[in-house]
Amino acid sequence: MKRLLLVSLLVASGAQAAETVVLPQSTFLLDFSYLQSSLDARYDQDRQKLPLIDPILRYEPGGGLQGTIGARPEAVFRMLVLQLGYGITDNLTALVFVPIVLNTSITANLSWQPGDYQPSLGRPYSQDDFWAWARSMGQPRPPDYAETNKGVLADMVVGMRYKLKPYAWLQRLGLQVAGTLAFALPTGKSPDPEELLVAGTTSWELHSYGDIEAHLSVDRPLFVDEYGVPRINLGADVGYSFFRPREYTAARGTVNPLLLTQAPYVGEKYWIDPGDWFTTAFSIDLNPFFGPAEATIVSGKNVERAKTLPPMVSITLTYNYILTAGSNWWSQSPLWEYDREKMWGQGDKHAFKAQLNLSFLRVGLPLQMYIGYRAQDLFHGKNTRAANTFSFGLRMVAKFW
Amino acid sequence: MRPSTLVCSATLATAVTLTLTSCGPPVAPPTRELVTLNGDAYSRGLQHGQQLSAKIKGFYTTLLTASLFPYLGREQPDIATLLTEYGNDRYKNGRFAYELLLDSAKSLERSIPLSAREEMRGIADGSGLTYDEVLILNTFVDSTLAVRGIALAIRLSRAPVLERVEVVEAGSDGADNDGDGMTDEAGEGVLDPYNPTRGATFVELPASFTLKLRVRDSDGVDPALVRLQLGAEPLEATKTELAADLLEVSANVTAPAASTLLVMLGAGDKKVLPNPPPDHASFMRDTELLFTTRGAGLTADQVSWPVLSDGRTRPPSIALSLQGPATAGGAPLIAQHFALLDANTSYKHTAVFVHEPDKGRPFAYVGWAGVAWGFAGMNASGVGYACNSSDTLDNSVVGAVFDQVADLSKAKLVAKGTPIGFAMRRVLETATDAAQAATITRGFEHAYGWSCLLGDAAGGQRAVEVDSDVFKEGSMGFYEYGTAERLSSNGDGDLVIASDYTKNVNDIVRLTVAGQKIVPQREWAGTFFRSRRAASHLLRDVKAAYGQLDRASVQAIISNPEVVDMSDSMNAVVLDLKNRKLWSAHGQVPATKGPFIETEVPAP
Repeated sequence: MKRLLLVSLLVASGAQAAETVVLPQSTFLLDFSYLQSSLDARYDQDRQKLPLIDPILRYEPGGGLQGTIGARPEAVFRMLVLQLGYGITDNLTALVFVPIVLNTSITANLSWQPGDYQPSLGRPYSQDDFWAWARSMGQPRPPDYAETNKGVLADMVVGMRYKLKPYAWLQRLGLQVAGTLAFALPTGKSPDPEELLVAGTTSWELHSYGDIEAHLSVDRPLFVDEYGVPRINLGADVGYSFFRPREYTAARGTVNPLLLTQAPYVGEKYWIDPGDWFTTAFSIDLNPFFGPAEATIVSGKNVERAKTLPPMVSITLTYNYILTAGSNWWSQSPLWEYDREKMWGQGDKHAFKAQLNLSFLRVGLPLQMYIGYRAQDLFHGKNTRAANTFSFGLRMVAKFW
Repeated sequence: MRPSTLVCSATLATAVTLTLTSCGPPVAPPTRELVTLNGDAYSRGLQHGQQLSAKIKGFYTTLLTASLFPYLGREQPDIATLLTEYGNDRYKNGRFAYELLLDSAKSLERSIPLSAREEMRGIADGSGLTYDEVLILNTFVDSTLAVRGIALAIRLSRAPVLERVEVVEAGSDGADNDGDGMTDEAGEGVLDPYNPTRGATFVELPASFTLKLRVRDSDGVDPALVRLQLGAEPLEATKTELAADLLEVSANVTAPAASTLLVMLGAGDKKVLPNPPPDHASFMRDTELLFTTRGAGLTADQVSWPVLSDGRTRPPSIALSLQGPATAGGAPLIAQHFALLDANTSYKHTAVFVHEPDKGRPFAYVGWAGVAWGFAGMNASGVGYACNSSDTLDNSVVGAVFDQVADLSKAKLVAKGTPIGFAMRRVLETATDAAQAATITRGFEHAYGWSCLLGDAAGGQRAVEVDSDVFKEGSMGFYEYGTAERLSSNGDGDLVIASDYTKNVNDIVRLTVAGQKIVPQREWAGTFFRSRRAASHLLRDVKAAYGQLDRASVQAIISNPEVVDMSDSMNAVVLDLKNRKLWSAHGQVPATKGPFIETEVPAP
């Protein structure tokens, strides 16, 4: 057993280093991780970095422009992710991925740009003026901060990975090849349509993994020692993520009548085909420190076998390119659809991830730890949101029979 | 929905090296449509409703449900204290504005021609809105303007009033400053009471003079809320409280000889009102005083109002009628830039409607989804019109209150008469020249005040002004003029209007009812001074190109930022009456941010 499996929440499920790794038959994997994902920007059609939502121009009927509501909302998802794996055979591993959103905090960061001079006030509307005006029409001022999704499931994932046997031609090329197929279960929830500061937890709202994912992964170990452990591993992955169309309920304006009255013209329901993704990833694993190898229960009291276990310290660097098809919205209002689709046109995103892995298998502890950070704003994307994610996890491997 | 997306997805599925060029950004749906309607009235309405169903629902929801209704709803508590009928259950739970406008719509419906009602039924059936909703959508402009006018007049009655204007040196400057034929007579240089006029307040003043303005408010005028400007620049002023309710504002004014100068006064009182929010003092309408200095050589009525670029004022709707000596080749043109209520939504729902009725001549107008009329249009006979609102208290809602004044517990704010749009629809359907169009307009009882230009392919041109003639003053609420009167013309080929009355300047008798002053338009309407400046600007532009004006130059004139409301511009139109071509810019704000696009009205 070298290194184990990880299905990343916030990468399109491919492209982790060592995507070809499977569990030995009858071996269990248990992985707990904490993820904190921060989102405060998006990229537009021209790859300009912008706030998540456009400025909102507000008008007084016949009174001209009251002002412009600016918002630079920042959403932080805090998640606990449980991964379970089981080696059905030495080449086939089953996976279950259970993401639990501990909470989502949203800071609105509202601002105000005054508009036209209002003769009846003797001044342009200030921000407080505007919200007082709005309140008199039944529109409450949104809170500056909200917490939601407390202990809510995101979409679970079940999957299988099959690793090709070491055929002679693969051995000649020094390659390891595996395919992964994963399905998301609709256990996440969509945001409350009537609220302004909300976030959903489905795969589409998290914008992290598809409803069905297929991956083909290749590893090429280099500088392999006599025990089969490489100093360097190069990995590549291609994948396709399918998103199913989904139905949403349009806002009726019961909470925010001025800002969220849509159902009368959008229709009670509307539908989104999020658009599928094509993903590619390249990774490099560096194993700078193998560490001591001791005869323990993990290695079957065998030092030579202990030396086949993962190095104590490894570093994984990954670049992930995700090509996103445009989202398609269906409603009774083409104008409304366009206002959404223009923010979700065909685009791409670039994710860079660095992860430090610590493995204690060689010294008899069936435990691995990892800490990682993934950035999506180092290289500007197009028509996408740029979440940056910190992750920390523990991983255990056990074989009971 | 974008059809290309699925194609993109399919491409993604099959090609690793896909090219992205086929998957471009979503294409914006048009914000302006060209809708051709055939058949009888109901059929045309049905086609309209079916073709623009989504936009009609969107327009109704975003403009009325989510904007105008809650806005009007804020007035319910105040109105219900006087008119207790509005405290009834029917008007509660957020339904006040809808029911208020529905009451007026039902009343106005009685004066809407039958064919237009059939057309609205077609729109309702085609769009999925109820007939009542379509009726409100087609009548709310007149009824809302009437209610808004009353609310504004009430609000201004609580605000400071400029009651006296004095130019100290005018009594001894050796010039006739007030145009009465006398020089330095007793009281020259003093206007007490002050009443706004369409022309200059004083003329031929010294290049440097002292201006004293007295402003009164029963709650006291707050000196900190007094603003005095010379043109766009603040003017240093001394504020002296002569009494608890009287403030005198004094300033030394200096201007070049033979020049025109504009002094603007704004003031608020000392009482802060919490309703309707936000907290605010009561502010008088910004009042503008027009002067000339020695050597200008103009009478008060000849002075042209200058441009005011202080960032606080927005131009009103404007319109031009040009023909004969004014235009290249004598081509008859009507042009309009209409501004009233965009609210970040009207521009998304615009359309040019071309009607080809089974009986009668084709016609076209520039309008909005779900609305059976427009503020400008023309027919196959080459008769065209452009109408601007003209705020007046001589409106049908005021009339209804007077009719019910004996028992206010049952009184309601209900408009009656014919909305201007439907009156102009009748002009399009039946008029063969401008004179006949004027006659048709005269035949309606009007729900609100409007100023319109009418023209025809032969060069006929008339300006008509309407109101509701609440006190039956003998005019039937109809006032007509042409170029010969030189009320708003450079010569024999041009008529220029904004959003005020040019002939009907004493639109209503001055009286006080239950402490509420009823006064003519020029004394309260927010568009009055703005109209004076805009009309003057247009007259200068027209004069500069007199005889050479054509479609392109007229489009440029009405696109000039000096006459464009950047927030509430709704449509800009040029009608080439002889060639039956309608050029319209709309679908963006301001309307003239986009191109003028040609629509030809089918031949009869």
